[in-house]
Amino acid sequence: MTEHGPLVLVADDDDDIRSLVIFRLERSGYRTVVARDGEEALALALERVPALAVLDVMMPKLDGYEVTRRLRSEDATRGMPVILLTARAQDADVARGFESGADDYIRKPFSPQELLARVQAILGRR
Amino acid sequence: MQALFAWSSVALGGGSVMFVSLLLFRRIRLYRIEVERDQAEERLEPLALALVSGEETEAVDTRDAGVLAGLLSRYARQVTGDSRSALADYFEASGSVDRAMAALGDRHAWRRAAAADLLGAMGSEQAIGALRDALGDGSRDVRTAAARSLGRLRASAAVEDLVRVFVTADVAHGVAGEALLGLGSAALPALRALTHHGDPGLREAAVELLGLLGEPADSPLLVARLRDSAAEVRASAARALGRLAAEDAAAAVRGALDDRIPFVRAAAARALGEIGGRDAAPALLALARSDHYDAAQSAARALARVDPELLAAAGREEFGQHVLEAADRAAIRS
Repeated sequence: MTEHGPLVLVADDDDDIRSLVIFRLERSGYRTVVARDGEEALALALERVPALAVLDVMMPKLDGYEVTRRLRSEDATRGMPVILLTARAQDADVARGFESGADDYIRKPFSPQELLARVQAILGRR
Repeated sequence: MQALFAWSSVALGGGSVMFVSLLLFRRIRLYRIEVERDQAEERLEPLALALVSGEETEAVDTRDAGVLAGLLSRYARQVTGDSRSALADYFEASGSVDRAMAALGDRHAWRRAAAADLLGAMGSEQAIGALRDALGDGSRDVRTAAARSLGRLRASAAVEDLVRVFVTADVAHGVAGEALLGLGSAALPALRALTHHGDPGLREAAVELLGLLGEPADSPLLVARLRDSAAEVRASAARALGRLAAEDAAAAVRGALDDRIPFVRAAAARALGEIGGRDAAPALLALARSDHYDAAQSAARALARVDPELLAAAGREEFGQHVLEAADRAAIRS
């Protein structure tokens, strides 16, 4: 793991997806913190205040939309970029993601390279 | 005699001890295999993730190759794009694709089904021909796995085979349908060709799918199917035009309100509700007043969408039960 790269929160209840996302990000110089459900993701985000969060939509305890909404309501995390990772790709779901405050979304199955490009694009803009 | 009983008891007791020992030994062996596999997976995980990311990696020995293939096939289900191509290349080069294709000929159906599923996860187009053949397997599990894998491989060459198993129900409708819908626009050329097929079942399914995947430019082709010799195909064409909201086909669909088969008239009425336009309102009202139950009900509900004012006026004049019902429903919604 890199010691000084931007910190990214990765939250997904699927072990394989977490491994794929973490590997791709760490290989590209990012540091990661990992959560397996929505509550853990929220707690970690408030505690560590990462530069960006990659959140699964369908997580146990709190879904990705709700985590995003709560991040937007806290001063410390209000401006934190959020990318939603979703198996749901209906227009309404995408719209719901943006309404909850997400900056971008990626459909599963996903391309790790595309995810990395979006993370870089969002963090590069800031 | 007593000695015989005594010896029999000893033999039975001995046999039981041996049987229990055998079970215990087997359980321990399976547990050890499981632990070894978990350890190997943990050891090979970084290598598998590097492969998914398209990085150069060292070769593994034959024993690890099986574990690595299992790990990669799990990851392969989650990724698309370059990562998926990198995995397909690896599986082809390592011989895993060839081994899985050979396993499609295994005498055990569960092994054939597992191989068909694995081939979809591997993502190699080399497997498409073998998977198309597997759609004709005697086992439903194998056919189902093959259909899913062909969908995952986006095998446009398999469209006709998939439509066929959809029609014959050799594969569950949901599975075959999902595979076809997953192909998206890649399925369109084959579906368009199938709308002229000699088998009405295939024509009907192709037309239905064209309504789900097609484009506005497919409207003339679907309009032609409104004159098909098979009523199911005509109804399917009306539904498809409705889904595409094909305004240029409105006149032709209005013509289908006079079809001699009631369920075609019902489908045409519903389609006109989707397409919209007040031109259809008088014909829909006439159908709602006088036709069979389904067609009349569909016409009344379509009228509620295309011309709510005419429906409200007609409802007051008691144009029949379906018109009244549709007017009530419209009033409740508003």
